[in-house]
Amino acid sequence: MPGLTDSLAPALVFRGVTAGYKARTVLHDIDFGIAEGEFVSIIGPNGSGKSTMLKTATGLVRPLKGRVEVFGREVSSLRPRERASLIGVVPQKLDSPMAFTVSEIVMIGRSVRGRWGGPDAGDHDSVERAMIYTNVLDLKDRLFNQLSAGEQQRTALAMALAQEPRIIMLDESIAHLDINHSQEVLRILMNINREEKITVLLVSHDLNLAAQIADRLMLIDHGRLVKNGSPGEVMQEELLRRVYGCDLRVRRDPYSGNPLVSGVLDAALRRPPLQKRLHIISGGGSGIELFRRLLIEGFDLSAGVLNRLDSDSEAARALDIPCVLEQPFSAVGDEALLQAESMVGEADGVVVGLVPFGPGNLVNLELASQAQSAGKPVWLASGIALRDYTPEKAAAGKARQLIDAGAVEWSGLQELMALLKSAWPQHRVQR
Amino acid sequence: MLGPSGIGLPDTSTISGRAILDLRLGRFFMGMMVGAALSTSGTVFQAILRNPLAEPYVLGVSGGAGLGAALSILVGGGFLGAVGLPLTAFFFAILTLLAVYAIANQGGVPSVYSLILSGVIVSAICSSVIMFLVSTADIDGMHTVVWWMLGNLQPSSWIDQFVSLLLISVAAGALWLLAPALNVLTLGREMAHYQGLDAGMVTVTSLLLSTMLAATAVSMGGMIGFVGLIVPHVMRALFGPDHRWLVPASAIGGGAFLVLCDALARTIMAPVEIPVGVVTALAGGPFFLIVLRKKMKYAWID
Repeated sequence: MPGLTDSLAPALVFRGVTAGYKARTVLHDIDFGIAEGEFVSIIGPNGSGKSTMLKTATGLVRPLKGRVEVFGREVSSLRPRERASLIGVVPQKLDSPMAFTVSEIVMIGRSVRGRWGGPDAGDHDSVERAMIYTNVLDLKDRLFNQLSAGEQQRTALAMALAQEPRIIMLDESIAHLDINHSQEVLRILMNINREEKITVLLVSHDLNLAAQIADRLMLIDHGRLVKNGSPGEVMQEELLRRVYGCDLRVRRDPYSGNPLVSGVLDAALRRPPLQKRLHIISGGGSGIELFRRLLIEGFDLSAGVLNRLDSDSEAARALDIPCVLEQPFSAVGDEALLQAESMVGEADGVVVGLVPFGPGNLVNLELASQAQSAGKPVWLASGIALRDYTPEKAAAGKARQLIDAGAVEWSGLQELMALLKSAWPQHRVQR
Repeated sequence: MLGPSGIGLPDTSTISGRAILDLRLGRFFMGMMVGAALSTSGTVFQAILRNPLAEPYVLGVSGGAGLGAALSILVGGGFLGAVGLPLTAFFFAILTLLAVYAIANQGGVPSVYSLILSGVIVSAICSSVIMFLVSTADIDGMHTVVWWMLGNLQPSSWIDQFVSLLLISVAAGALWLLAPALNVLTLGREMAHYQGLDAGMVTVTSLLLSTMLAATAVSMGGMIGFVGLIVPHVMRALFGPDHRWLVPASAIGGGAFLVLCDALARTIMAPVEIPVGVVTALAGGPFFLIVLRKKMKYAWID
């Protein structure tokens, strides 16, 4: 019983644990400790040994070498009921083939206390508390099998809580839930952890979810503990790239400051390079789709002049497009214009997007005519008169000059792609 | 109290009346015992394997017990006394269960599907061996075994019945004590471990006990099908899946069902008696199908 365990001992300790199954060793020499009251998440790629680690921690898999201690006692030396009163487990999916009601399932959590004659008042109290905590009290007479996945997971959590354990372990229990359900389960877990001081060990392959909620992350790869630390320490681009074997990016969530991981899909989508550089004149968000599409088609890009903080300049930065920037909300100055002119000099053509023109950015159209006079093609988004906020409609006038000199108008991305292809048909270079 | 000689209590003032009462009471006890044993055994197999198809026949346990009993009848196990028949049946049933488990086992814990598949195979082997034994037996032995195989609740000696009663009540009682553990086991072996159950121990114990029940039933009444498969489902549909209620309910329900079927078997074509196994399948099947169609959602959900 809990009283026999050392109250100062850590909730869970692995000491040099090597473990696995008959034919296969999965975990190699794992060392870590979890203090009581911590919220720790085990992360790692599929098949890295996360679930085996949980099974070893609960005594289901016996270590080949090393020791697993739960509250200071070796887990395999615990009697089954003692073990269940210390450790509660929420499985990936609780599967009950028979038609038990929700309250019957939660009551099974009380079988730890083991009385044949059926539950007593204390058991009923505990079950009701667990059901209130997990918000399934309203469902108590419903059949477990007819609940939604989220409700089933909350019931499974209630069952584990009814055991009144001191540490709760979850094996990918949230991964397959919709975002609303997974957030609810996470919120319950945080309450359990903060209010009831129950230690939580969450196995998860969802890095962002783990980083969002856990005090500490343990990154497992090929059965070894690669990194053990705060979310900020573990969520390092280099480390994750190595472990997951793919390109990915870590940013900070603008609201919570939590690290956020995302894959880099664009790299896989891109066509082979075309060896053609286009300079894009855009602004106010008109360039985002243009950048993506042209990159995917295989063009090299440059952009500008854009104002800092403009959403196009953010997009250009994210997509690693060289870009000339001007101070926010200011007219394009000489220095920026000079830089942009040299960029246009290196480009093979200029595309003008659906950007509104005012006195501040009118000079950008000069870039287009400069390219034209150097014999480079210019593609101009049609309807420029509608976006012209300059006095005396200077932009529309400039556009007419460009068109007279041979610039081509486009009115949609599909059309632009077709125009580009017909301008440079033979330049697709296979890598 | 139903029989070819009339319905209701026979006139006990005559000698023939007392004899009829005696016979009918014997059949009644046989039916209750065999039915209870088969149905309880089916309930437990279904819980442990978490599969609605599990029952002593599907797992080959009944086939094995039948082979043992046939051997005992033909070759003679009489030297062991009253326990000879049930003991041989039990021994063979355990052997079959081990064989089924060994065939299904591909390292680790065998899946339910491979268990059932190998059960069906072993069952088929057992029945062909029985057929072989029957075909090589003399005419008397052949007659006895065939009749016994068709299912027959003719009471054996009182001492046989007493021994069987003892075996059945001990096994069924022990399984009843394991009822809370069976409830936990329906969530799967891994969950049972997390719930503080020695899942391996409970599984092995209850498999042995229910094999003992099935073997005793087969040695007493022959191969009577359907009771172990369908009665547990109906009881689960009526009383819910909590094994503290389900185990006794299946025992009583299975017994009552078999007694009723036996009464029908004796009366429908009187004075010719139909094998009771035929009645359980013919009469019980459709009736239970109707019940299950209406109440299946309270029994199993896929």
